[in-house]
Amino acid sequence: MDLATIFLSPTLWAMTLSLGTPIALAALGGTFSERSGVVNIAMEGIMLTAAFFAVFFSSLTGNAWLGLLLAVACGLGMGLLMAWAAVHLRADQIVIGTAVNMIAAGLTAYLLHIFFGQGSPSNTPQLPVVTIPGLAQLPFVGDVIGHQNVMVYITIGLFILAHYVLFHTVFGLRLRSAGENPQATESAGLSVYRLRYLGVLIGAFLSALGGAYLSIGVLNSFTQNMTSGRGYIALAAMIFGKWTPWGAFGAAMLFGWASALGYMFQGTSVPYQLVLILPYVLTVVALVGLVGRSRPPAADGIPYVHAR
Amino acid sequence: MEAGAIPKEGKLGQMRHFKRGTIGFIGASLAVLLAACGGSGSAGSTNTPSQQSNSAAASQAAGEGTSGSGTASGLKVGLVADVGGLHDHSFNQSADDGLMRAQKELGIQATAVQSQRPEDYVTNLSNLAQQGDQLVIAVGFNMTDAVQQVAPQFPKTHFLLIDSTVNLPNVTSALFKSEQAGYLVGALSGLLETKGGLPHLNGQNVVGVIGGQEIPPVDSYIAGFQQGFKQTDPSGKVLLRYVGNFTDTAAGEQLASLEISQGTDIVFQVAGPVGQGVFNAASQHNAYAIGVDSDESYLAPNVVLTSAIKRVDVAVFDTIKALQDNSLQSGVSTFELKNDGVGMAPPMKGIPQAIVDQVNQLKQQIVAGQITVSPEVQK
Repeated sequence: MDLATIFLSPTLWAMTLSLGTPIALAALGGTFSERSGVVNIAMEGIMLTAAFFAVFFSSLTGNAWLGLLLAVACGLGMGLLMAWAAVHLRADQIVIGTAVNMIAAGLTAYLLHIFFGQGSPSNTPQLPVVTIPGLAQLPFVGDVIGHQNVMVYITIGLFILAHYVLFHTVFGLRLRSAGENPQATESAGLSVYRLRYLGVLIGAFLSALGGAYLSIGVLNSFTQNMTSGRGYIALAAMIFGKWTPWGAFGAAMLFGWASALGYMFQGTSVPYQLVLILPYVLTVVALVGLVGRSRPPAADGIPYVHAR
Repeated sequence: MEAGAIPKEGKLGQMRHFKRGTIGFIGASLAVLLAACGGSGSAGSTNTPSQQSNSAAASQAAGEGTSGSGTASGLKVGLVADVGGLHDHSFNQSADDGLMRAQKELGIQATAVQSQRPEDYVTNLSNLAQQGDQLVIAVGFNMTDAVQQVAPQFPKTHFLLIDSTVNLPNVTSALFKSEQAGYLVGALSGLLETKGGLPHLNGQNVVGVIGGQEIPPVDSYIAGFQQGFKQTDPSGKVLLRYVGNFTDTAAGEQLASLEISQGTDIVFQVAGPVGQGVFNAASQHNAYAIGVDSDESYLAPNVVLTSAIKRVDVAVFDTIKALQDNSLQSGVSTFELKNDGVGMAPPMKGIPQAIVDQVNQLKQQIVAGQITVSPEVQK
């Protein structure tokens, strides 16, 4: 297979979308959390937890949508825990994130063994792949975005919504102000605590969607550590995207594209180890060469103490 | 599903609890965290008892533990699982099965710990040796360096290394001729491609392989598969891709889907737990898959044609028994078709008997030494 065939193959671009989606969701989650002023490195843990509970509840209720809903609820539970520790207890946010990641790795492995000693049931319901009528019939474009898992479309919708909320609503302005200058936020009569709770919870919600997409969207099973570092890649995508929704989306899709390219290249004369590091090499190159300095929100990671 | 009803309540209970007393929830989480750390071997003294009781409970669930009466022998055996986990439906699980059988039948005291990441190997192996285990089992090729490093520090402890060789007086290396098992499932695939006989075969004469990492124990299966396939379907094509790890199940799904979109109708997975993603892709796209290490047909009943089996459990059990009988030797023990150390799981119903018979003939030829299978992958 030569280069041109690979680049022009709709499979490459369809795979880009599906590989980029979980990373994009988690990166957007991180963006919301950090925009409100709470450093979030717990995307990996929240994704993994949601991935487990999505399979758990999906097989329990026999309905993938209920599985998704309850998995998100579990993700929100973890987010609440994080927000409480970060905002009320003013604990070190990096430590909180690390703890969440470790708890998630241990907890899900343990629960997997307790509930599914034989592996998650093979008849676990899965979120559907949808075909968009009309769009799917178009040449090339139809093959790329006409026939994807429903979560891919939900993700695109969420990004449009997220950009609007963050940059074109009063709530978005307030959320960002809590991350830039919380003193000013409070002097305007707003609760920084409440805004930061919301930022972290929205972040947990989005990361949980990303995790659930992996386990009941791409697959219908959970295996140990199956997020496989995507939460950390999302962290990079968030920074790479300069804490903006579309930036995060682009960065996540670049990762997805590089991974997809790696998969396509395998079996050609290029050594596969080289191909597998492509996403990481590309990021470094892009980060150094194309994006320039990436500045976090000014009060990101600094616990806020009430002025009274 | 009935077992599932209890967790749901438990989970809700936990949530309610959370509202009232967050401290309690944190406490519970910390306990879980501690347990998790224990698994990775940060504190040998705290982790082992819980792991031990775990193992004991597991053996009791498996068949009313006779372990209580058997402990008379007092032999202590520890096992360090690789990052795939003790319940990977594959390699580590098979090793654990062997350990559990030894606990039940030989009355040994078993401890199994799990590695969360490769940095844990040395700590876990040392901890088990330090707590006085007479035999420490290192499951997997990736622990070769760790065994090389730890074994000289504990000359009185015997080590069993699965899938790799370390030349030390207190190390036994168990090697599997998994290329022979790969050969059989490859031959089966080739026969199905040329003769048909199953509804979802597409007649394009292409089969696929998904490997975990490009390491000898994976590649020997793949090499055997290539040779067996070529034997029965000389004009067919084998697509080969690696995931690059043994955890990213979703990537396994994507790679298998890609190969299926390129004409593959039978995918052989040599990727441990990641194989679940391969089965998933095969079932979604109406293709077939072949399992690895242990009989994986229960994971996807109408998708898994058969599995290439490596009896890690036999290697573990035999080594423990040899230690108990004082007949354990260092050096290499080889497990192959001849001594049932590798093989092919019972094929799926619906595969024509004539094809199965032909594969069995090839098996006899390998056992008789008429066919030799190379462990080198053709790129």
